[in-house]
Amino acid sequence: MSRKLLLEKEHVENIRLYDVYRREGGYRSVEKALKSMSPETIVEEVKKSGLRGRGGAGFPAGLKWSFIAKPEGVPRHLVVNADESEPGTFKDRYLMEFIPHILIEGMIVTSFALGSNVSYIYIRGEYAWIVDILQQAIQEAKNNGFLGKNILGTGFDCEIYVHRGAGAYICGEETALIESLEGKRGNPRIKPPFPAIEGVWKRPTVVNNVETIAALVPIINDGGDEYAKIGIGKSTGTKLISACGNINKPGVYEIDMTISVEEFIYSDEWCGGIKNGKKLKACIPGGSSVPILPANLLLTTAKGEKRLMNYESLADGGFATGSMMGSGGFIVLDEDQCIVRNTYSLARFYRHESCGQCSPCREGTGWMEKILLNIENGKGKISDIDLLWDIQRKIEGNTICPLGDAAAWPVAAAIRHFREEFEWHVNNPIECLTRNFGVGHYADPIHIPELV
Amino acid sequence: MSVLFSKNSLDKVAEIISRYPEGKQKSALLPVLHMAQDEFGGWLDVPVMDYVATLLNIEPIEVYEVASFYSMYNLKPVGKYMFEVCHTGPCMVSGSDSIIDYIKQKLNIGVGETTTDGMFTLKTVECLGACGYAPMMQLGKHYREHLTKAKVDSIIEECRAKAN
Ligand SMILES: Cc1cc2nc3c(=O)[nH]c(=O)nc-3n(C[C@H](O)[C@H](O)[C@H](O)COP(=O)(O)O)c2cc1C
Ligand code: SF4
Ligand code: FES
Repeated sequence: MSRKLLLEKEHVENIRLYDVYRREGGYRSVEKALKSMSPETIVEEVKKSGLRGRGGAGFPAGLKWSFIAKPEGVPRHLVVNADESEPGTFKDRYLMEFIPHILIEGMIVTSFALGSNVSYIYIRGEYAWIVDILQQAIQEAKNNGFLGKNILGTGFDCEIYVHRGAGAYICGEETALIESLEGKRGNPRIKPPFPAIEGVWKRPTVVNNVETIAALVPIINDGGDEYAKIGIGKSTGTKLISACGNINKPGVYEIDMTISVEEFIYSDEWCGGIKNGKKLKACIPGGSSVPILPANLLLTTAKGEKRLMNYESLADGGFATGSMMGSGGFIVLDEDQCIVRNTYSLARFYRHESCGQCSPCREGTGWMEKILLNIENGKGKISDIDLLWDIQRKIEGNTICPLGDAAAWPVAAAIRHFREEFEWHVNNPIECLTRNFGVGHYADPIHIPELV
Repeated sequence: MSVLFSKNSLDKVAEIISRYPEGKQKSALLPVLHMAQDEFGGWLDVPVMDYVATLLNIEPIEVYEVASFYSMYNLKPVGKYMFEVCHTGPCMVSGSDSIIDYIKQKLNIGVGETTTDGMFTLKTVECLGACGYAPMMQLGKHYREHLTKAKVDSIIEECRAKAN
């Protein structure tokens, strides 16, 4: 059994309600932080914990907080990123829907540490019913003296508001999110200035993922050192993984980042193996933006070691043979899935979501979508594969925000590892309409799980 | 239909504006557009957007450019019930294509179209954060997950029953 910190109480009946949450030990971290710690010591604890941002980039949270500017007389803001739109990712939703108070609790502590008296949750517009759940949790916390004026008699004031987006993946990018919070289109800003210096309404702003902020609760309760003992190396603490695709048990799991990818896929504690007894073909382990890996490279690194479910191991080998932890959106593909079609679907996603500010991203995503659709429909040429490679190279690194990279990487990885399948599509234009390529040499045809 | 919020809604608008700093009432634009769309027939006609601009004391163009950027704002009339089926990668590998085909056939409309009785609109949308519960769609405020053909049938019946 993996140790749980965030989802420990997920099965307690009515844990969504304040009374139950409080009875189960909720809001202790607020009492501890506000009454016995200074903002600086909280930031120190977070640094000690080694907590890395859970939104995708994995940037150390404590370090990010230490950058926040504190100009005299200018308010600062914490903004929680609940935009969660990266395909494959649905962990923040789970946390907010079932244990909303853990986010509110973490936000109060963080707001205190950053000196934010008004903090916001920017939630994707489609999560409309979760807005109600969060608003109820905020009201309950307020009724019980954990929000509002003079919290617990400490003199600290804090309000939390939920701001609902309206359907735009790009608003998950922190500067686009800030623009959207200001009531504008979600066009990312050129950095610098970074939000920690000039964020929403030109005020110093920290944007953090939902899961990052929830992790403050165990960090404050047990101390940063205790948190850092869980996991391996720079992958400390626990991580929520949302698993989906062709597996027996899709869902949200909390893992301690020491387990292997193989255990995660095949053990009944997590994904429960591939659906319908099929073979594993490929996996996108960290949300749609990270490189797809064929089964053989997913389960073992190029060095022949078992790959583990953590930041370092998933990235081992760089993009040549590795991938990324990303947001923890774990997408599994079985032998019946077509890599060309899957890549096309993701390319369409990025074309749809590009804000259109930079020409390499705006034009490049459109080109990639069209070429991939042609190949998928048996109308492609071998030179199209090279053209795709060329386009993705021209997007990567040449745009205002990382959406360009996020659009380029899936295409690059698909060609890198599955070129044979793209060529098969081109060379078999009729057959590819009626059947899939299958597993090929890159899959794991006879998997014998050891640990199940 | 006259474009005017009810007294309750106006109070709500004032409350929303108060969440943001003095003079930053434009921040209330996204939430207020959601309210306007809900209250004025499910889409944002130009007079509705102009009204929102007046309420927030901003230029109409500031409203148009936002309304056209975000996918949840409808700039054209839609059916009473909108089936927004996700077709992004994870849903696709879990069978969303066949659900979309089934809805097309069942309602006799294409993607982006509305049934002649104005009852249903079919839309395909990108990842809604429900990939583990695929295939799925959004229907109003809620998600319908683990869709099967039988489930689609019963959702259609449910909508028809509600409309009567
Ligand atoms: C295109 C794009 C989309 C993003 N979407 C999200 C998102 O939905 N949720 C999120 O927490 N971070 C998202 N991010 C990352 C944020 O920009 C930011 O790094 C993150 O919110 C910081 O929080 P963390 O340090 O706690 O991870 C996205 C980044 C990009 C470039
Ligand atoms: S990279 Fe794409 S999404 Fe990001 S700012 Fe440029 S055009 Fe917009
Ligand atoms: S891909 Fe359909 S909900 Fe995520």
